[in-house]
Amino acid sequence: MNTKRLVLISLLVLGSLILSACSGNRTVSNNWHGLAADAEHAYVASGTHIYAVNMDNGDEAWRFPQEADSKLMFYANPVLTADGQLLIGSAGSSHPFYSLNPANGKENWVEPFTGAMGAWLASPLIVNDTIYAPNTDGYVYVLDLEGKQAADPIQIGGALWAAPVTDGKFIYVASLDHHLHIIDPSDGSVVDTIDLGGAVPGTPAVAENGVYVGSFASTVEFIQSNGNHEVVAKTENWIWGSPVLAGETLYYADLTGKVFSFNTTEGSQNWEIALPDAVVAGLLVSGNQIYVATEAGNLIALDLDGNTVWEKPVGGKLYTAPVLSGETILVAPYQAETTLVAYDVDGKQVWPFTPEK
Amino acid sequence: MWDTIIINPMTNLLLWIYDVLGHGPHMFGLAIILFTILIKAVTWPLNASQVKGAQAMQELNNDKEWQEIQKKYAKDREKLAQEQMRIYKEKGINPFASCLPTLIQFPIIIGLYQSITRALSITPFDMLKLARTIYPFQNVENIIPLNSTFLWMDLGRPEGIFQSIFHPSFLPNGFPLLALIVALTTYVQSKLTMPTSSNPNDQSAQMSNMMSIYMPLLLGWFALNFASGIAIYFITSNLLGIIQYAATGRANWSNLLPGSKNK
Repeated sequence: MNTKRLVLISLLVLGSLILSACSGNRTVSNNWHGLAADAEHAYVASGTHIYAVNMDNGDEAWRFPQEADSKLMFYANPVLTADGQLLIGSAGSSHPFYSLNPANGKENWVEPFTGAMGAWLASPLIVNDTIYAPNTDGYVYVLDLEGKQAADPIQIGGALWAAPVTDGKFIYVASLDHHLHIIDPSDGSVVDTIDLGGAVPGTPAVAENGVYVGSFASTVEFIQSNGNHEVVAKTENWIWGSPVLAGETLYYADLTGKVFSFNTTEGSQNWEIALPDAVVAGLLVSGNQIYVATEAGNLIALDLDGNTVWEKPVGGKLYTAPVLSGETILVAPYQAETTLVAYDVDGKQVWPFTPEK
Repeated sequence: MWDTIIINPMTNLLLWIYDVLGHGPHMFGLAIILFTILIKAVTWPLNASQVKGAQAMQELNNDKEWQEIQKKYAKDREKLAQEQMRIYKEKGINPFASCLPTLIQFPIIIGLYQSITRALSITPFDMLKLARTIYPFQNVENIIPLNSTFLWMDLGRPEGIFQSIFHPSFLPNGFPLLALIVALTTYVQSKLTMPTSSNPNDQSAQMSNMMSIYMPLLLGWFALNFASGIAIYFITSNLLGIIQYAATGRANWSNLLPGSKNK
């Protein structure tokens, strides 16, 4: 082989190796915002940053990280713990899981999670002193409140987009693998797996003796902790957002824009209304009103009989479920000029928040 | 418009194949391979026309009369262009015959790339877009989300193997086997289809030579940085291209070794 051939072949191999330095993991570069709030701040996970916004005036309190890092993306709803931590994982090409101080955005601890292969799109669940963090790699990671691994990861299967919930005894994990998985937290075993016939992107609603789950099978199922389950309602299209249980009434919406009220005691539908636009976001029920965020960018307040009380055009697209802080309703429009808008219960805008560049 | 005409039909076809295959592990990789074969079959006449056009141009470059005209009017570009057009007319050569099919295939390749990435939607927003893409006849509840496992790969991630034993900081995904295969098959295909020329001033042959080096690097880079499903497409497409060209009996296997002179 002459020198020229050798050089060319070497260049070919070396070129591939060198260029691979630019390669990344399965990155998530676009998604709607995550949102949470306490009395002091609203926390919006908006891609490269998490912003804390003062509830009293809509000003930015802090942002994390200070400088954008292309490997970090945040889209999950942040979670506040009882001991004063704000938890969120990155959905970027690297997957650290952070505990922040909600008062100032400083890092309490970070778990690098080199083992987690996927993005953090779901919020974690905190049970006593244990964090159950679902990842899109199909595992629920178990940490203590200092970020140390508390138990082996629990293999679920399918991407996990929904926050787990607990009835106090079991943990329920909805997966895109079409199943609801029931976990016994005492030993981390999966005690039951229920086929729901379609992917489940939304968090189940916890009832007294089980959970209600909406799915891409266009059904709402009631699943008991012993694994017994039944379809209690059918819809015309996928149910994306989490159903909400308020007293004995379950509220949910589908992609055609229909909003439903379901009496869980009698097992019958109270009412349904058809909105002109798709509803992807979960509903917010507070006081005597139901707040519906539509894909077309409208925030609609309904009374408990399904009548429209007020409707406000927010702009952009609303995929994130509205969140309540005191008597203020927060919505995080996607692909809009503003990142967060606050309304009072009468539909009057309190403040908008747009992060400075 | 682009979505309606290109992306949506392609995505639905890809999902339909995946569903027919049983939508289990490894099936999306197989669906991409079958989809590529189907696209290649549909565009076979275009490829054949391209090969024929390139061959005609090559024969012209080796034509003694044309070489003499090139020498004679080397310093008179305008006259040379006029003579070139005359010869094209006399010999019935369409100068666009070799590049037009490529241009037509370009949107197909782009569309295919977008269809694969859309089908492998990894965020809720991507999934919502996919939901709006799927035609009503599809068995949508059953097939979503797609199982993106294929052999040792996650088709939604850049490929790499031996990650546990081979993980230098500049190779976070492990050894990039698929990228190397993409580069190799692209190299083989471009060399086999490279026109043979006895004319030392033949610019198209020089250009082909350059392309046979840059294209493998470029596609290899794509395979390194993008979802491995795209690399599966590149490899399948390259292998089919090699088979197609070999079937014409014009493959120049001696071109494969770097530095070998065109015969």
